[in-house]
Amino acid sequence: MSVELPPIPIGSMIPLTGPSAADGAEFRNGMILAVEELNAQGGLLGRKFQPIFVDTCRQTAEEVVGAARMLIEKHRVHAIICGYNIGPQNSEYEPIADAGIIYVHANTLLQHHDTVMSDPERYFGCFMADPADYWYGPGFIKFISWLRDTGQWTPSSDRLAIIAGSKPYSIVIAQSMAAAAADYGWRLCFGPKIVQTPTTQWREIIEEVRATNPAVVANTHFYAGDLAYFQRQFMDNPIDCLVYLQYGAMHRTFADIAQEASVGIIVSSVIGLLRDEVGKSFEARYNARFGEGASATIGCQSYSNMHHYAVAAAMAGGSGAPGHFEQNRKVARALKGMIYRSVHGTIRYHPDWQAAVPYPVVTHDPSLGMPHIFYQIHDHRKPLSMIAPEPYNTERFILPPWMSRRGGVPRPAAVSSPRPGRPTDRM
Amino acid sequence: MADEPDLATDRRLALDPTVLAGLDALPSGIAIWRPDRRLAYANETLRRTLGITPTAGELFEDFMGRLAHSREVVLADPDLWVREEIADFGIEKSADYILAAGLVMNVTQRPTRDGGLSATYSDVTAMKRNEQALREAKEAAEATDEAKSRFLRAANHDLRQPLASLKILIYSCIREADQDARAEMLHAMSVAALIMEDLLGALLQIGQLDAGRIKPRITSFQLSQLFERLDIPFRHQAEEKGLRLRFVTPRDTIATDRALLERILSNFVANAIRFTDVGGVLIGCRKEGKLLRIEVVDTGRGIKDADRERVFDEFYRVTDERRGEKTGLGLGLNIVKRLADLLELRVRLRSRPGHGSIFSVTVPFGNIWHSEGGDAEISEAVAGEFVGVPVLLVEDDDILRRSMTQLLQRWGIEVHAAATEDEALRLARGGTRVRLIVADYNLTSRTGVEVVRELRKAFGAETPAFIVTADAEPKVLEGIREAGLPVLIKPASPPRLRVLMHNLLFEPGQVRRPD
Repeated sequence: MSVELPPIPIGSMIPLTGPSAADGAEFRNGMILAVEELNAQGGLLGRKFQPIFVDTCRQTAEEVVGAARMLIEKHRVHAIICGYNIGPQNSEYEPIADAGIIYVHANTLLQHHDTVMSDPERYFGCFMADPADYWYGPGFIKFISWLRDTGQWTPSSDRLAIIAGSKPYSIVIAQSMAAAAADYGWRLCFGPKIVQTPTTQWREIIEEVRATNPAVVANTHFYAGDLAYFQRQFMDNPIDCLVYLQYGAMHRTFADIAQEASVGIIVSSVIGLLRDEVGKSFEARYNARFGEGASATIGCQSYSNMHHYAVAAAMAGGSGAPGHFEQNRKVARALKGMIYRSVHGTIRYHPDWQAAVPYPVVTHDPSLGMPHIFYQIHDHRKPLSMIAPEPYNTERFILPPWMSRRGGVPRPAAVSSPRPGRPTDRM
Repeated sequence: MADEPDLATDRRLALDPTVLAGLDALPSGIAIWRPDRRLAYANETLRRTLGITPTAGELFEDFMGRLAHSREVVLADPDLWVREEIADFGIEKSADYILAAGLVMNVTQRPTRDGGLSATYSDVTAMKRNEQALREAKEAAEATDEAKSRFLRAANHDLRQPLASLKILIYSCIREADQDARAEMLHAMSVAALIMEDLLGALLQIGQLDAGRIKPRITSFQLSQLFERLDIPFRHQAEEKGLRLRFVTPRDTIATDRALLERILSNFVANAIRFTDVGGVLIGCRKEGKLLRIEVVDTGRGIKDADRERVFDEFYRVTDERRGEKTGLGLGLNIVKRLADLLELRVRLRSRPGHGSIFSVTVPFGNIWHSEGGDAEISEAVAGEFVGVPVLLVEDDDILRRSMTQLLQRWGIEVHAAATEDEALRLARGGTRVRLIVADYNLTSRTGVEVVRELRKAFGAETPAFIVTADAEPKVLEGIREAGLPVLIKPASPPRLRVLMHNLLFEPGQVRRPD
């Protein structure tokens, strides 16, 4: 008669309440689905996984550090696997490093690089499974330059306006956009101007932007609701320019509030579910488990992180409880050494940063990096259209409805002709 | 063919089986013809080599005819060849043929003592290839050798000139008593040494190129980044000559070796500045179909038609007609040519004497998604939220001041550190502008709260500020709170420090007052 081994406790710090509760619910779903699938296949070397969730509410440093302590001290978790928590500024790394357990998150923070590199021995177990916020900047600049250089869009000028939210994430992205602009032929005509967020009042800043007559406006604030109000107020009297809205515009809430005003906006994510066979199969399983209203594109983050961890722990010959530094170092080595194709692209940890390497802005090989995906809303009632980068894109860019069709001849932007003398096949 | 003897039967009758097996195993084909010109013997190798099978007793003429028209052997005029072969029966000769499959076959025939003919058919492909490779290598070596000798003669001449001046100058300098004259000579010596250094540097580059040590690494990158780099060394040179130097910044992504292209353009720009006395130098781009032409346009002396091809030769220098002297090393454009050949880029020159020249290099466009930025080494020091934010730090403890400065600099902050209130005030009154004040509470003269008050007066603004203190006494904290300043208890953890600084700078509404 076989004796059932005790389950392996895995912690998950998730905003189950507060402003990010909608994402938190999906992170929880992702963990549940991953653990169910893993346990159905026998768990980790015969031991089942048991997820333990702690609410991080507003995701302040106190709340997240408190959650980490509780998971380590009370539940003796072998690893903490999450989606993201905004706000703890890496302070949660301290109790985790003291315990010597594995921590995998998608906090999208540049400071993860600095913290890990400041003491790689101490932070051996801390992994960021998505690329840092910084990469949004050069990625975005390359994207608009690609639209321009391939003739998919003819900008009215080289002027770029940047509005930044007041969170570190928004500021870092706005600054990295501004820093990359000139190299690709863009001139900063406005900002980056930091706006106190959250806010739903954008009219004043839209007027300031209008006065600078930009060809592109980017707003790096990331709350879905706030961005929806931005777009509605923008559409009251649109400027003849492209509109890029940071991450939050991917959410259903954005299109629900902005409705038709949302059509044409560009949004991107350095982590997002792919529309290929692997991604679709995951989405079908996810929806079958949690209902059609569930958002697999958010839930995939914790799902992949959990799966990846389980594979690494199996390779290492098992997981390690708090204090079992030796075993957890083996797991960390397996995580670092493995090129893992998740449902949202490849997780390959940079050897120094211990963060996922982005494609195409850092690696040019899609099999070695996580795609920075650009979406456009073509129909506010339907899922977003994935318009870049190759080979993952499924649709093409269209000229936003509020923009003028320069040259006087109406034409579908997706099959636009290149400007004279410009090559069109540079991809 | 019942009247013809069977070759195999014949062989079995005439020869030992071991001998026959041995003949079949030979690497060359063998054919033996009787005096009546009928085939007496052919080994297995011949059948395999030629692709056509000779039959026993077959007439030499018939076999040659079949072979010539089989298309197995490449022949200019098969009928002529057959006639010649028939005429040469019984004559000693040897010839190489190319087979349709690309092999080279040597056919050597000798008369037999009874009036017949024996021939061997050998595959000499490998030998011929080696011979050809050796011949080509020898020719290349001879050509290189000649080029090297010419090159060394020229290099020797050019090195000797400054060396000779150096010797004369040293000799004169030893005897010279006048300080000014000595200084002048020393200056001339340093110029001669610089010329030699430049020449040796250029020779080394050419040596490396010739030795194939420079391997291009083709990547996609923004040409604007290269222009920015070129602007730095040449801006000053141009200004010294009173020339306008203008880079028209392109937005294009190109694909080539970044460092080698930079060398090509550096040489163009250096030449343009050297040979332009009035006007300026413009660096810009033009699209040329699927390529981009990078042009360096100057308003200099221009190059005569006769010199246009030769300027790319090593040590070739255009004589300055007005001065009757040569300037430059005469190697820059030769290096350009060698680099352009290596990168397979087209280099062109258009010029009008007296009006100026346009040197250009044409490069392919790159993939914008693959364009390499200076991104590889990102950190908070260059890309964090606090990058470039000026902060005034007042801390009288040397060790703490130093460690705090280091921490803040790691986050990209521009730190103005002061050990005392006076030092801080001097900075404030001296025009230093900051966005945040960080003050220790227990400063030698007064409390940090008072120092912040004085500094704000000096700045004439309510600059955001906070206090750090090791003193957690409720009375002290109350005092700080009354002054409306946030406080951190030492040792302040970096995440807490970061959150407080972020809030003070970017989200003042989030700052919690000490309580």
